Amino acid sequence: MSKMALRNIFRQKRRSLLTSLTMFGGFVLVMIAVGMTDGSFNGMIDMFTRNSMGHIQVHAQGYLDKPSLHKVIPDYLKVGQKIAGVEGVEAWTPRVFSAGLSSVGDKTAAAVLSGIDPSLENKAVNFDKKIYEGRPLAAGPAKETAIGRGLAKTLKAKPGDALVFVTQGADGSLANEKYLIVALVDSGNEVADRSSLFLHIADAQELLVLDGKAHEIAIVAPKLGKVAKVKRAVEAALADPRLSVEPWQEFARGFYLAMQAENKEHQVSLIVFFIIVAVGVLNTTLMSVLERRREHGLLKALGTRPGRLFRMILNEVLLMALASIAIGSVVGTAANLYLSRHGFKFSQGFTFGGMVYDRLLVEISARCYIIPSLLVLAAALLVAIYPALKAARTDAARSIRYT
Amino acid sequence: MNIHLKAAWRNIFRNKRRTFITGTAIALGLASLIFSDALVKGTTDSLINTATGSFSGQGQIHAAGFRETQETSRVIAGADAVLARLAGDARIKAFTPRTLNFAMASSASEVSPVLMVGVAPDSEGNFSKISEAIVEGRFFEDAATGGGRRANSQDIILGAKLVETLQARLGDRLVLTAAQAGSDDLAQEMFRISGIFRFAIDEMDKGMVFVRLSKAQDMLNLNKGVHQIALSLKDPRMASDETNPLWKDYSSEGNEAVGWPVLFPQLKAVSALAGFATAIIGILLFGIIALGIINTLFMSVYERMFEFGVLRAVGTRPGGIRKLVVYEAGALGLLSSGLGILLGFVVTFIVCKTGLDYRGIEYMGVSFKDLLYPVMTIEQFIIYPIIVFLFTVLVGLYPAGYASKMSITKAMRRTL
Amino acid sequence: MKRHRTRRFAVPISIVGCIAVYWLAACLPADGGQGNATAEVQTILKRIDDLYRSRSSTAEITMTIITPNWQRTLVLRGWTRGQDRMFVRILSPLKEQGVGTLKIGNEMWNYFPKTDKVMKLPPSMMMSSWMGSDFTNDDLVKEYKLADDFTSRLVRPEKAEPGVIYIESRPKEGLPIIWDKTIAAIRESDLIPLWQDFFDERGTLVRSLRFGEVKKFGTRNVPSVMEMIPRTKEGYKTVIRYDKLAFDVPLGDEIFSLRNLQSQR
Repeated sequence: MSKMALRNIFRQKRRSLLTSLTMFGGFVLVMIAVGMTDGSFNGMIDMFTRNSMGHIQVHAQGYLDKPSLHKVIPDYLKVGQKIAGVEGVEAWTPRVFSAGLSSVGDKTAAAVLSGIDPSLENKAVNFDKKIYEGRPLAAGPAKETAIGRGLAKTLKAKPGDALVFVTQGADGSLANEKYLIVALVDSGNEVADRSSLFLHIADAQELLVLDGKAHEIAIVAPKLGKVAKVKRAVEAALADPRLSVEPWQEFARGFYLAMQAENKEHQVSLIVFFIIVAVGVLNTTLMSVLERRREHGLLKALGTRPGRLFRMILNEVLLMALASIAIGSVVGTAANLYLSRHGFKFSQGFTFGGMVYDRLLVEISARCYIIPSLLVLAAALLVAIYPALKAARTDAARSIRYT
Repeated sequence: MNIHLKAAWRNIFRNKRRTFITGTAIALGLASLIFSDALVKGTTDSLINTATGSFSGQGQIHAAGFRETQETSRVIAGADAVLARLAGDARIKAFTPRTLNFAMASSASEVSPVLMVGVAPDSEGNFSKISEAIVEGRFFEDAATGGGRRANSQDIILGAKLVETLQARLGDRLVLTAAQAGSDDLAQEMFRISGIFRFAIDEMDKGMVFVRLSKAQDMLNLNKGVHQIALSLKDPRMASDETNPLWKDYSSEGNEAVGWPVLFPQLKAVSALAGFATAIIGILLFGIIALGIINTLFMSVYERMFEFGVLRAVGTRPGGIRKLVVYEAGALGLLSSGLGILLGFVVTFIVCKTGLDYRGIEYMGVSFKDLLYPVMTIEQFIIYPIIVFLFTVLVGLYPAGYASKMSITKAMRRTL
Repeated sequence: MKRHRTRRFAVPISIVGCIAVYWLAACLPADGGQGNATAEVQTILKRIDDLYRSRSSTAEITMTIITPNWQRTLVLRGWTRGQDRMFVRILSPLKEQGVGTLKIGNEMWNYFPKTDKVMKLPPSMMMSSWMGSDFTNDDLVKEYKLADDFTSRLVRPEKAEPGVIYIESRPKEGLPIIWDKTIAAIRESDLIPLWQDFFDERGTLVRSLRFGEVKKFGTRNVPSVMEMIPRTKEGYKTVIRYDKLAFDVPLGDEIFSLRNLQSQR
């Protein structure tokens, strides 16, 4: 039957071409669409989480729920080294947190302190790119500080000013120290910038009497899809019941929820694609079957069983679909490869948290092939059933008379 | 010309089945465009709504400089006039005034810093989702609505996580301490927990308390001053447009009005990315639909090559054939557009009513049920049909040319 | 959508606001009241009110703070005048030596010798725990008078000890006092307070204040040791001991000045 199917296809060149075109076009476009929706979805999440929170975070158990100065990760360097050794970890960065009062000149304001390791923080979340005035923090502890835009405004401070920070240490003592403001920071989170103050982690530990301890370790994975795997790997590597490892879906829940809406919308788009492709295939197949009624009538008169006729029609469609998928894969792969590197350029790029966003990159994965293939195959076959049935059921005598 | 037009129209109906199939294909394409567009708008709205709908609003008015310094003495200039103006402004859907200040909340056993928000019960109830998020107790009620319960100025509503931190319960006493506006005098007032909410947003559940506006104004010595007026607009897209004159209108006399893109740059960033992604999808979608139209139209013309051959044989000029085909395409386009508009309307309307549930498995009880709703606009039903119609006619040009140039003998062969 | 979790100010901020030691404020053991109290109760209340009050005073105090995470002992020197002027200097431990707090009316400044910085405190910071201890600024700054702001009566608890008067007090309606009631035990013989328990509205004992070691300072006999014990959390306690205490000492304006604050004396 396939032979006949194949011959039939070539006999009606134009018709077959049109049908295949729809399937091929649909396949390629859906390939790009899937790659692009994945790319944009992940791009959004990445943009948001890589800004400062990271993809995965490690804390002492219970810290996320009720933060406290005393809920620490003991010996963070050791923990960090273990994490660095986990496959799939692109970067990690430790943080120490405290709340207190900051003062420049005669202005005083509440501030939230983050003790960071500048080189690790740069690598993980592009901290140095968020600096809009001044220079980056020194790599080692130097009693320097970078403050958020809003805090700088409240304190009427600028790089070069001296800032005093007062808080309570982990031993209960009154901690106070003077730091030199070297940079002003814009993280993209206006509210946070109103009170954020960054120190070198060693300076912060000294101030707070928290030797070797940290409150949080943020981890960045190269691809969003790998986050779940990396999280499990980190948990296994640390194997410490006192520590808790959380993925972004947990510490950025609100954002996660909003992303679900995006996802749903993409799913609906795919359904729409499906319908369009299906209708296109139905149209041509139906027309072609109707056209060949006489022919089918003849075949039946010659003894072809209805079942065979049915399968023949389906085979025709199937072959065309497979061909379209095959060629489509090649073309689509080429397209996606290009787009994954160059992406779609925005008409107007924007800056967020120090990073420039001016294009959407396509993300290539198995989904790019599986989804369009299924879509085209399903559309084609489903839709061919009606015409195939019709052909199979034609009354031989009547059909021959059909003009 | 008339003949061709009439003939074209009649031809369409001669083969009902063919017209139906082809027409439906095109109509479905149009309906998809309309629905997708509506859905996209709905998703964008949903994204923004999730962020701004619970409390912040699509835009806010403050006294210039308040956003940076949060000084209690910096109240909105001429608040009464602004409020009156908002009430009469057709672009505004809802608005509500608030006071905002840093305070310390003390319970019997614990103390916690909070953002104290003074709200006007009536307008706030309609504006933000606080009343929906209440899990214990109730939102502020006034004598008019409260079923007889007298408005109690000591009412305070706070988040479940904060209540836990303070080791307090509904009905317990709470003392708020804050600095009065303009002086360093301390204001300390007693409140009673009258409601507990859960937003599943940490900043709110852990750090905000709501009291009555008048009480806050008294306590902080603000006279009738307010720090913020939150707005929601009839057209949400106006809020995303930073250049819209609305913002300038209200940024006068020492005040500053800004929309959410300015208030929440992160939201703006995410939204920009999302918008761009959907634009691309839209183009891809149109690509497929275009293919579909080409496919069906070509098919329907090539099917009838024999017919055209006959027409040529009896003397129709090539130009006439071309006109015929194009007019048929046009007529088909018209019909399909009509059907497409109807289909698009019906489907979009239905989904508008039912909504799409996108909340995944990990969704944890937030009390307000936000489903995804498509947004219908007039443009969808005007622009897309026109595009589809024009495209259909355009596509018809190629087979029209082919049919008009085809040799008669070739045309009268049955097979393609 | 602001998903970024801003770190919330944890209780530590309080410490700064709390350097202000206004231990001479009336609000120490808030007890007693008027109203339906008998004349006897009135007298007792007034005496409690004025126990530590005077026109001016100087003192040296040792304060020990115990928490589950750390333990500290501070030595402080302080001066007060009237109800609105107060100056405190930390003498020990070494790390905090020289830190000072000045309070005039509703304004408060801190001085840190290490950074040579005078910081004016935002007013609302004045609430919450004093120096990380279990006393709140409320306890020290507020001017609620037991005699005026509470409604009190004599009571007789089950485990009443001989020679002890028990007074139950409830804050008057409308006052921002967080306690629902307090019960104080006073020694009958010399009207020295022994202890005071603070309860919330559900009748839960929230914290206890214990007095002890009565000593003679100048012409007065007062308890020299006060212990504040929170009852709703484990492992916390604050003990204050007056090593030196002098009443009605003539104190000049210059003591309560920013210059003096910075002088590190």
